[in-house]
Amino acid sequence: MTFSPELEAKFADLVTHYPEGRQRAALIPMLMFGQEEVGSITPEFMEEVAKRLGLNTMQVDEVVGYYSMLHKKGMGKYHVQVCTNVACMLRGGAELYDHACHKLGLGHKEVSADGVISLEEVECMGACSWAPAIQVNYDFHHEVTTEQLDTILEGLKK
Amino acid sequence: MALVNVTINGVQVQAENGALLIEVAKQNGIEIPAFCYYEGMSLQAACRMCLVEVEKAPKLMAGCTLPVAEGMVVRTESEPVVKARKTTLEFLLSNHPLDCPVCDKGGECELQDMTFKYGVGESRFTEIKQHVPEKQWSPVVFYDAPRCILCYRCVRVCNEGMGVGALGVSYRGVNAEIIPSNGDHLECDECGSCIDICPVGSLTSGIYRYKTRPWEMEHVGTVCTHCSNGCKTTLGVRNNEIVRGNNRDKSGINGEFLCVKGRYAFDFTQHPERLQTPLIRNAAGELEEASWSRALKLVAEKFKALAGPDFGVIGSTRTTNEENYLLQKFARTALGTASIDHHRTGDVVTLIDSLSGKTGQLATAEDLYTSKAVLVVASDLSQQQPLLANKIRANVRHHKAAVYTVTPGPVREDKIARKAIRIAEADSLAGVEQLREALSKEAELVIIYGDAIQGEKVRQLVAFGESLGIPVKYVALVDYANSRGALDMGLLPDLGPGYHATAPGRSLQQMLDDPKLAALWVVGSNPLKGGKSLASTNAFVVVQDLFLTETAQRADVVLPAASAYEKNGTVTNVCGQVQRLKKGIETVGSKADLAIIGLLARGMGVNLGKVDADAIFAEIAASVPGYNQLPMPVILTGGAVQTHPVNGGVPPSSVPGIIASARDTLFTTGSLTRYSKILNEVLEKPGALYS
Amino acid sequence: MANSISEILGSAAAIAKGMSVTLKEMMSPTVTEDYPDAPAKFQERYRGVHVLQRDEAGLEKCVACFLCAAACPSNCIYIEADENTEKKRISGGERYASVYNIDYSRCIFCGFCVEACPTDAITHGHQFEIASYNTSTLIYRKEQMLVNIAPNVKAPALPVETTGGH
Repeated sequence: MTFSPELEAKFADLVTHYPEGRQRAALIPMLMFGQEEVGSITPEFMEEVAKRLGLNTMQVDEVVGYYSMLHKKGMGKYHVQVCTNVACMLRGGAELYDHACHKLGLGHKEVSADGVISLEEVECMGACSWAPAIQVNYDFHHEVTTEQLDTILEGLKK
Repeated sequence: MALVNVTINGVQVQAENGALLIEVAKQNGIEIPAFCYYEGMSLQAACRMCLVEVEKAPKLMAGCTLPVAEGMVVRTESEPVVKARKTTLEFLLSNHPLDCPVCDKGGECELQDMTFKYGVGESRFTEIKQHVPEKQWSPVVFYDAPRCILCYRCVRVCNEGMGVGALGVSYRGVNAEIIPSNGDHLECDECGSCIDICPVGSLTSGIYRYKTRPWEMEHVGTVCTHCSNGCKTTLGVRNNEIVRGNNRDKSGINGEFLCVKGRYAFDFTQHPERLQTPLIRNAAGELEEASWSRALKLVAEKFKALAGPDFGVIGSTRTTNEENYLLQKFARTALGTASIDHHRTGDVVTLIDSLSGKTGQLATAEDLYTSKAVLVVASDLSQQQPLLANKIRANVRHHKAAVYTVTPGPVREDKIARKAIRIAEADSLAGVEQLREALSKEAELVIIYGDAIQGEKVRQLVAFGESLGIPVKYVALVDYANSRGALDMGLLPDLGPGYHATAPGRSLQQMLDDPKLAALWVVGSNPLKGGKSLASTNAFVVVQDLFLTETAQRADVVLPAASAYEKNGTVTNVCGQVQRLKKGIETVGSKADLAIIGLLARGMGVNLGKVDADAIFAEIAASVPGYNQLPMPVILTGGAVQTHPVNGGVPPSSVPGIIASARDTLFTTGSLTRYSKILNEVLEKPGALYS
Repeated sequence: MANSISEILGSAAAIAKGMSVTLKEMMSPTVTEDYPDAPAKFQERYRGVHVLQRDEAGLEKCVACFLCAAACPSNCIYIEADENTEKKRISGGERYASVYNIDYSRCIFCGFCVEACPTDAITHGHQFEIASYNTSTLIYRKEQMLVNIAPNVKAPALPVETTGGH
């Protein structure tokens, strides 16, 4: 499997961050960056990462299954993540998620037919002070109301 | 190692500094309950069951990961500990279904036992338990996620014990579960260690599922009849049917290790094609069913008439030592022939000759676990000699042993090897020579070699080993359950029991090729496999076997024989370790080879003395060098004792024989395993694991 | 004289007393069982020949856990278990008893099996007339002990070949 030169450089840099023999610590960032380029974490990608870090594929598979931000199937161009953890839940996160589901016609980790938007119900994103929070790709939206959500989603569809 | 004083429950005990508390407690008769801790595996500390109170420690400590230290005061049954155990069990049971009556593990379940001993009767959890449908990962492995308590034992045994790493844990929280290597199914050795090691009924065996309950079975400790490693297996027998094979009591040379064949491939005993009556070739040239008395009478008469030097006898690599001994004795005395041979699969004879005058240089299976270095020459151990491979892996894990491989293709041992040399089989010795420097720095060495090393090459290999200047032990690999015993008992054309010289006769190939051969008696062997034919078209052929093999189809009389699970006796494994077979089930229609030989002798009016496994073994012990002075109590109680073959030169062979291993892997089928339904179902492409 | 009169009166009183009991009992209902001319009556808890129960859906309650056989002090219960499949569903659990025999020449009607049963599948019925000249008829098979599917229960949707047990 081949990656872009930028990603290769990033990978090469990542492994130097950790002491000799602890290179497996680079696993999660490698998967995160790789996911962005590859689109999803494919079996070949897992094998490649395992090979580079001297792990077996099963160990990579375990990590991918554990972390909700790592996806085995591709997500939409805009990945909408709605937090329903305690703080957001108290401020209407669950209703916001239900609204998004209804509006988009999508469920948890589902992608729209045109592949533009995907939805995910996530755990705490660390934005409790501005709950309820949503995240579209890496952009935060704070104290979101259903109306604001509609505007954001409309904006994405264009 | 320094000893430290530890107080456990008010009793002062001494223990090695740094030993794990759970082990120290066990050695002093105190049980600290645990699910995830497993002797010999890496530490996990996942189940929290082993929490104990340690003085001066602020919180309860996990006994499975706590090394003991001087002055440590531990309480394992105090009130906080008991309370913690109850809570832990309550948590473990929070999503565990209470379906013990239908669960296969019920009756031998560790969670059941612990709940019974420590658990509370009621749970404070009122939530609905999360149900996930059961999954089938392979024909023999089923996984029921709700029952799983995530102790990681299966993951560790697969990764560390087997070196396969086909299991992992994924997802998290209440959704966490064990995942197989290939998405929805397993690609692995299918050894079933994960099922055996599971403390609950989460992993269940495809062949044993829902058949019976543990207390309903009779447990018969015997020896696996498949490969030459001689693993002890405990057969679970109910209604004269073997329903389970495992070795839960961890006795014998293999501990609890068994491969796919040992654990599942006992079902050949129930195969519908199993012969149940003797067959006699009638006037029309077809084999037809006949009574035992008629068949035995016919064979005895013919044997009497045809006895002489042109009589050929081919023995078996899976019948017992007693049968092999009696067969060659009967052939050499009553039948008056020297043409006795069997399918030879490894050059043990030359090894013993090369080591003449030396003692203690034949390795046992335990040596592979304790030796500081191991050299594997021209053999794919994990596929062909699974127990020996397992011992080496455990040795690397526990003792950091140095492993060296010299093989024609990639093998699983490469992963743990210090040096792996890829070289054609014919040039193996050149490969070994490349390791001279590394090997001579080791403290000791065990050399294991396959059938590519034979004759003069064995002498060269031994010369190489002896020139290293370190203690070296050897294992000559052979294929089948009693291949070694067949050699020791003298099923050879010019060597009698204990490798003493006898008048030379024909080798196996010479018998097949000799048009003058008057009769051929094949006991538990299939020399005509693979389209070979018998040159002597008029020869009277008698075959004793379980199935109508290619050879049996050519026979004039076929006598149905009992399998190793249906008789008593002893077998000798690849390392020369003698173990006892114990009859698990009764035969239907067939007879043990020993009984058949005895009945034929009686029919011919030959007195062989008392024909009974114990009596013959006594005769072997009295007359065969190497088998004298074996400590009988060890053998009788299911232990293994290594024989000490002749400590002197073996007479050079004047008969050219063929030594060729069948190279059967875990999944390719040998003469018995091709009749195992379950083994054929799990049939996988060998080598797929190394990609 | 006085002696003989009191004797007569005393005897008459005794007869009258005895007859009064007789007359009273003549009026009250009969307690004597008229067995075998009339069927015998039982207390509810009487332990007779076992009955294997079915659940509301008509499936067998027995999941072949072997606990009755384990509890049995006279070792008279014999079970063979098999797995329920999608097409062939006999019991509510994953497993069912393909063979369930009780040897009544050994059974001592102690009720331990009933007590051990985790699914209330085995119970004691009130049938007791099982004497036989031939002991082999005393081994009861599952079919002889299993209750019929109640008429108001719609039998579970099963493929034709498996309805109505074996």
